[in-house]
Amino acid sequence: MMASRGRRPIRKPIMNKEAGEFEPCWEMLRNSMTDIHNKNASTLSFEQLYRASYKIVVKKKGGQLYENVKTFEEEWFQNHILPQISELITNNLVSVALVQQPGSSAHERRQTAEKFLRGVKSSWEDHNMSMNMIADILMYLDRTYTLETKRPSIFATTIGLFRDNILRNTVGGMAQGLTDTFTIFDLVCAVMLDLINMERDGDTVDRNLLRKITSMLEDLYETDEEFDNQRLYITSFEPRFLVASEAFYRNECEKLVREADTSSWLRHTQRRLAEEQDRCETTLSPLSAEKIADVIDAELIKAKLDEFLKMDGVGLKSMIDNDRVEDLSILYQLITRIDKTKAALKTTLQRRVMELGLAIEKNVKETDFSVPVSGAADGDDDGQDKSKPQSLTAAAQQTAAAIKWVDDVLQLKDKFDRLWEVCFQRDLVLQSAVTRSFSEFINIFPRSSEYVSLFIDDNLKQGSKGRSEAEIETVLDKAIVLLRYLGDRDMFERYYQKHLARRLLHNKSEIDTEKEMVRRMRTEMGNSFTAKFEGMFKDMELSKDLAENYREHIRELGDVGVKKTDLGINVLTSNNWPPEVMGRGGAVQESGARADCIYPPAIKRLQESFFKFYLKNRSGRILTWVGSAGSADIKCVFPKVQGKDSGPLSKERRYELNVPTYGMIVLMLFNDLPEGETLGFEEIQAKTNIPATDLTRTLASLSIAPKARVLLKDPQTKNIKATDRFCFNAGFLSKAIRIKAPTITNTSRVEGDEERKETERKNNQTRAHVVDAAIVRIMKQRKELSHTALTSEVISQLSARFKPDISLIKKRIEDLLTREYLERSDGDSASYRYLA
Amino acid sequence: MASKYITLISGDGYEFVVLREAAMISPTITGMLRNQFAEAKTGRCLFPEINGVILGKVVEYFNYYHKNRDKEDVLDMEIPVDLCLVLIEVADFFGLDEQQS
Repeated sequence: MMASRGRRPIRKPIMNKEAGEFEPCWEMLRNSMTDIHNKNASTLSFEQLYRASYKIVVKKKGGQLYENVKTFEEEWFQNHILPQISELITNNLVSVALVQQPGSSAHERRQTAEKFLRGVKSSWEDHNMSMNMIADILMYLDRTYTLETKRPSIFATTIGLFRDNILRNTVGGMAQGLTDTFTIFDLVCAVMLDLINMERDGDTVDRNLLRKITSMLEDLYETDEEFDNQRLYITSFEPRFLVASEAFYRNECEKLVREADTSSWLRHTQRRLAEEQDRCETTLSPLSAEKIADVIDAELIKAKLDEFLKMDGVGLKSMIDNDRVEDLSILYQLITRIDKTKAALKTTLQRRVMELGLAIEKNVKETDFSVPVSGAADGDDDGQDKSKPQSLTAAAQQTAAAIKWVDDVLQLKDKFDRLWEVCFQRDLVLQSAVTRSFSEFINIFPRSSEYVSLFIDDNLKQGSKGRSEAEIETVLDKAIVLLRYLGDRDMFERYYQKHLARRLLHNKSEIDTEKEMVRRMRTEMGNSFTAKFEGMFKDMELSKDLAENYREHIRELGDVGVKKTDLGINVLTSNNWPPEVMGRGGAVQESGARADCIYPPAIKRLQESFFKFYLKNRSGRILTWVGSAGSADIKCVFPKVQGKDSGPLSKERRYELNVPTYGMIVLMLFNDLPEGETLGFEEIQAKTNIPATDLTRTLASLSIAPKARVLLKDPQTKNIKATDRFCFNAGFLSKAIRIKAPTITNTSRVEGDEERKETERKNNQTRAHVVDAAIVRIMKQRKELSHTALTSEVISQLSARFKPDISLIKKRIEDLLTREYLERSDGDSASYRYLA
Repeated sequence: MASKYITLISGDGYEFVVLREAAMISPTITGMLRNQFAEAKTGRCLFPEINGVILGKVVEYFNYYHKNRDKEDVLDMEIPVDLCLVLIEVADFFGLDEQQS
């Protein structure tokens, strides 16, 4: 203290330094340290002790004091603490903790272990408290001497003595069955781990005691420098803890595998994770929480994951099949812990989607759909020609199959969506994986495009029949989802066009709903995809106006009172409408040339009048009348039947018949026929020029179905044959005034194999053109391109519409080469040049 | 917990009652009071080798520090020149030579 050196003090220094000799001061400190250890501090004056140490330090005797305190403490350990601890280290304790001798009950082991730990704990707590007090007394020593000499603080030194004198003390000679010496620290660790394992096995242990020991290990460091990462807990205990836990959980996992119950494994693992977290919070140190979780991840989840997932009857497959939502949720959480890509879950999900998807297809193929649709064509098999009704039945069955297929796929989709939402936390990786699988199996199925279109057709037709808007909405949404999966969108476009045409022309659906559907398709697939459909809507609207205007025009002509035929007309732009509807379909090709059917004179006049009207504003157009696509309302009068005086037949009956255009033509023939006479099938055909297949259907609808049997057929079979004869059914009777003849042609149905081949052939033709166009477009821009680059460019350009075959592209390139759009580059046969 | 105030007693018998919290800025007094020593029991701290004038200044400093602990631009405490050296020594004894947190 430089305070008064070399100058005359103004006042006498307050501290009587001369009185502070080392020995008496130390003597006093030593005695009081004994008192502190013996918990007799309350009689001591802190000021007195502090002043004693202050004086020693001021006298520059700090180093001596430091050493003296250390020696005192060491002696104290040897003489007072160690004997107490040693007493606790019984042979029994050593053998259960370190030798792991069997034979002692868990209860006994726990008792011994806890007793030992309690002893260690209380000597630690005593020491810790005493050292705090002594360090306070020696505060002045720390503030000056230790600071100047850079030695560890007196507290760090003396608290570290516990580690050196107790924990690191090798208790020699007591270990039976052990070759190596061991320290008390080893024993502490072993006992703690044993207790932790006991708790894992379901025993109750003194968590508080364990926590106290842990915090002791956290408060002690490897050296007196007290580096933060050198805490005994981290350096010595935690590694042992993790190794022991690894062993424990490896064992447990093997046991669970033997039990072979995936569900209980999931729950068990989840419980273990929570337990270990809780243990780290309450019993050990939060520092270990993450590391012990890693141990569980590795040993309990990762190690046997595949085995658990593959288990028969309880594995992932059965969880998915049985919608075991809770199990799947847990599984998802566990897998997310160990693998961010969730590969195991992903592959199984994908495989299951594929399997179930293919099962749907198989199921649909095997199911007998004849039962629910038998009413439409009940099996009157006594006719000589069976082929017609049977093929109809088959077609109807297939339609039902198509709808079932789509329904099932949607159900499957719903199922996986639900799992995804409820169990997989809307995981994006899984979503895209499942989506891929859906897309895959849907595209493996060759008829998916057609079936999806049929499904929409079915729903839109039913849509008008008392279903709520919301219901229709969801169906549309689902249909769009399926659409997204389809690879061959051009095929779908073709089918949809066909089905839409039928619906529009026959007023089968609500135009608003149709437009809504197409609008959705547009947002999903782009403008070019829906251009034709929109063209069809536009045609329909223009036609409505046109028909209205024409009616106006006729009224202005003023032929009032003249018996008129009202005309509703749909003028269809041939590009937008499917060729089948436009009468350019397969039937035409069969007969070689397209022949117009012969319309009755009244209708003929009407057609001409409309054509004249139409050309007034639009010159140079040609109208082709498509009889197969229209329908007609006919007012018929059935005369009173001779010889009937009572009952409905005794009166004249008026009905309104709605029939296809061809039906109208046929019926008009009978108008001119004297009563009682008949017309043969061939006669009718000759007079009308209706294609044979269409005529067969028309006659079937008018003469077979009881609801609209306006014609009588001879013989009365269920089939139409070329030799049949027909006459007017004068005794026709119906409860309804308006009768709609069953229109067999109108049913949208699955194509037969022939038709299907035809459709595919046509589609491939179209594709060829599309590929041609794409190649030319690309080459025009790039001038020169290698074969592979060109191919991949074509594929990427067309991917929105369909997946082109490589062979198709190659063929088209060759074709373009011969047509001299392209040439091979000089010297490089694998690339092409564009020829303008 | 004991009373909010403690009593500091000088060697010549002067007693100063001071806010415990204010006196606790001295590590020495903190150590004195947080353990199971006699001072902690009675709340009376005797300093036999410090006289009343000096201890009075120390208590004045405790109060000065406590009162102004959150303020800025505080006037210096008045210290008589003839007490300076002794006060430096006593400040060292009380551990008041460090910045208190």
